[in-house]
Amino acid sequence: MIEVKNLTFSYSKDKQALHGLDFTVEDGEIFGFLGPNGSGKSTTQKILTGILKGHGGKVSLFGQDISAAHGQEFFRKIGVLFEFPYLYANLSAVDNLNYFASFYPREQRRDVRELLDALEFKPDFLKKPVSSYSKGMRQRVSMARALVSNPRLLFLDEPTSGLDPSGAVLFRKIIEQERKKGTTVFVTTHNMVDANLLCDRVAFISNGNLVALDTPKRLKEKNSNHRVVIDYLYQGQRESKTIEAPELEAGIPFAHDEIISIHSQEPTLEDMFIQYTGRGLS
Amino acid sequence: MGKGFCALFKKDCRMLASGKFFLMAIGFLALYTAYVNLGYIRFMQMAPYNVYLYDPAGTQVSKSALVQTVPSMEAMDTALLADANGVGLDASAGDVRVVLYPGAEHIDHHRADYALSLLQPSVSLSPEVLDTNTPEQKARKEITCELLFFELAAVGFLGIAAVLFKEKGMGVIRVHAILPLRKDLFLLSKLVVFLLSDLVFAVLLTLLNTGLADGASVLPAVLLQTAILSLMMALVGLLCALLLKDFRQFTLAYLVIAIFAATPVFLSANTSVKFDWINYHPFYHVYMGLKNAYFGTTISPVYYVGAVGTIVLLFLAVRLAFHREIGKEG
Repeated sequence: MIEVKNLTFSYSKDKQALHGLDFTVEDGEIFGFLGPNGSGKSTTQKILTGILKGHGGKVSLFGQDISAAHGQEFFRKIGVLFEFPYLYANLSAVDNLNYFASFYPREQRRDVRELLDALEFKPDFLKKPVSSYSKGMRQRVSMARALVSNPRLLFLDEPTSGLDPSGAVLFRKIIEQERKKGTTVFVTTHNMVDANLLCDRVAFISNGNLVALDTPKRLKEKNSNHRVVIDYLYQGQRESKTIEAPELEAGIPFAHDEIISIHSQEPTLEDMFIQYTGRGLS
Repeated sequence: MGKGFCALFKKDCRMLASGKFFLMAIGFLALYTAYVNLGYIRFMQMAPYNVYLYDPAGTQVSKSALVQTVPSMEAMDTALLADANGVGLDASAGDVRVVLYPGAEHIDHHRADYALSLLQPSVSLSPEVLDTNTPEQKARKEITCELLFFELAAVGFLGIAAVLFKEKGMGVIRVHAILPLRKDLFLLSKLVVFLLSDLVFAVLLTLLNTGLADGASVLPAVLLQTAILSLMMALVGLLCALLLKDFRQFTLAYLVIAIFAATPVFLSANTSVKFDWINYHPFYHVYMGLKNAYFGTTISPVYYVGAVGTIVLLFLAVRLAFHREIGKEG
């Protein structure tokens, strides 16, 4: 679906934002693009969505070079959720969505009310202006705007930003449903929970360089110290021991009366990011 | 393309309606019309100066009815104190002596000549009239032209910039970057909305203030000039809104354009004040185009070439600024 080879971009002669990125995103994949602020995430996404021109290297979407694919046909196939909920504050959710949907062919559009219903939008606010909505409600309308055209490729920038935990769970469910329909999803996020739960593969970008690309599971496994922490009871005392995971193959290698818990010492995705880039995500 | 344009057009109309733009335009129309019909025209029809005569011996037998006789010099002083523009004539010593509070020297001469002329109204002048307009028609056309120019140059310009600043603030311009839509339509729809609104305004203002028959005869030419000025000002408004960071910066630009640029034009076009450089002032030619349209004077084709060229250049500049804006983030 997306093929990026040696992607470079400079805002000015002495300000190179991207230093030769290489990655591919398969059809129907949820691909996470992670990086701290100013790392080149947004620049990459803007190039992929055809907003930013003048890049170096090769970028293909839908099997076509992006330079030749910025016509209306290309934009009909993509949906974009921006980092901020960009909506007409004086219009209602329904009017906003009807307006944005009107640029797509009728047969491609989804029913606005059904979509808002799926996103658990409060029905009382359907006709009220966006200016009266909470951040979470605006995010729901923005998500509906990105989905209203039934896109084949969905770009999501911080999809669960501004949502409460149940809203975040709902959004992840919706994204998963989209993938099941065959939609390819390119997620840019700081949220490690989203990346871990949603993404088939994640790429870490730092200072315009791709520093790691793999499935979240493999990234963690590769960098695991393969140790487990065992909490147990022995002769009425609660104790804890750290052992190498392969030692478990032959059973618990020490005397104990009762095992309370066994925890692997696998690093988190955020640990991995810091290890690869030397920087935190925020 | 047609559907996309209709959606944009409808949305822009809603934006203007919710921003009370149309209401404001109707308010301005009512205000201008009231000013022209209840204030300006009445003022223009008033006698230029009151003339007071003190003539105890009754020597001025053929004086005009416009001359007001006073019984004493003290009464004349009181009248002139209350009406500083008035002119006093003292005929108590045989020869007529002019008494007035001084202003500009050439105006004072005019006041004195006018007052003296009222003592011999039988010497009536019958000059050859070069203009087909009556003084009232002339005054109506002049003031309507000025008000229309002000409305298009200052108010309309402010309106389009306010709408775009609003959209910029909401970030929705960036959403249009990823819609299957020819990006220029976003600009074109705004230009069309403002153009139509200005044309309707020009029709109503002209007909209400110059009369149906007179107004209808000059309307095609006036609408052409309105379209030129409306497009120019809308494009300048769009450019300012795209290039400037916030409304505060825009306010400064607005002051420069609306006051410093327009003031010398009004002075040069309507008063005896002449600036050598006024021919290089683009607004002057646009204003004169509008004025010539109201008075049925032929306009040079060079002006039209310049106007169309300016509109095209402005559109290209706006387009460039717009494409830069939609690439911005957050």
